[in-house]
Amino acid sequence: MKLVIDPRRCKGCNLCVKVCPYRIFRPGRRPNERGVVVPELDRPERCANCRLRRLYGRTICGVCQLTCPDQAIRWEEEEAYEPRKVAVEY
Amino acid sequence: MNFMDWYRADRLPTIFCVGCGNGTVINCALTAVSEVGWKREEVVFVSGIGCSSRAPGYIDADSLHTTHGRALAFATGIKLANPDLQLVVFTGDGDLAAIGGNHFIHACRRNVDMTVICMNNQIYGMTGGQGSPTTPRGALSTTTPYGAEEGTFDLTALSIAAGANFAARWTSYHVKELTNAIRAGLETPGFSFIEAAVQCPTGYGRRNRLREPEDMIEFFRTHSMLRQKYDRLLAEGKLVPPDTIVVGEFVRRDRPVLGGKK
Repeated sequence: MKLVIDPRRCKGCNLCVKVCPYRIFRPGRRPNERGVVVPELDRPERCANCRLRRLYGRTICGVCQLTCPDQAIRWEEEEAYEPRKVAVEY
Repeated sequence: MNFMDWYRADRLPTIFCVGCGNGTVINCALTAVSEVGWKREEVVFVSGIGCSSRAPGYIDADSLHTTHGRALAFATGIKLANPDLQLVVFTGDGDLAAIGGNHFIHACRRNVDMTVICMNNQIYGMTGGQGSPTTPRGALSTTTPYGAEEGTFDLTALSIAAGANFAARWTSYHVKELTNAIRAGLETPGFSFIEAAVQCPTGYGRRNRLREPEDMIEFFRTHSMLRQKYDRLLAEGKLVPPDTIVVGEFVRRDRPVLGGKK
């Protein structure tokens, strides 16, 4: 599972920054094209729901999704071992 | 079924201000409704007038947006006309406590089978921040520029005294507990009243040194106290801060129900 913030719904209230027990969200830096400062994800692979939802078959934490007043946070299915572009530094 | 399936995706994002807690309470209510397992055809969402009462407009189910304060009267009519329907009423503090106060106590007295979720933002938000019956003493609003001097309504205590079958109070910070309380209210036959204190950064917080949404969430986190602890402190004669929000489940009982399933 992958944590996604919908930039078209987010209004930039930063409540997810406040409530996330893993401190995955952090305040954004620059406004997007709608003028909203959308929070950034800080190492989202630490999210318990992303890692354990399939194992337990239910939503594990989900506090950010419940708290988000604009329904902007969701989890997307992610294929296991899907190829990803990685910048390799030599 | 996730609560996102209940939303009308084409109506989002909501009209609520940045950081408004109404969206949180709608999330919790829809989560509770989907956990109980009701289908779209058997639930009716009713609301009156106000910020919180815009909620059914975003829900993909049968809904009724009624006149100011009369949501409970309309809901009583729905329940008596078709007892098979399940009712969830979204209402605000100005809607429920001020103009609809009599409907509220009489719906509690009749114990109509419905669940009422009151989003108490302690202010009339939609009309510009006027003081409501739940504005705390000393709080500033546009109609109380020197601080509110009137006492406040304790809506949960009012519903218990008037005879509701289930009463609980949580805040928009306690999302899991609020969801569980709403679910318990949906499963309890009879009048279930859940009061959810929500933040209103635009109308209330801006004038009361809680300008940012996080500030009000932090206020809820630090100033809420479980009912058991509150009762214990009172019994021990200890001092409780006057701005404490007492949270928890207050009553669950089995009085005769009007309009339940035959």
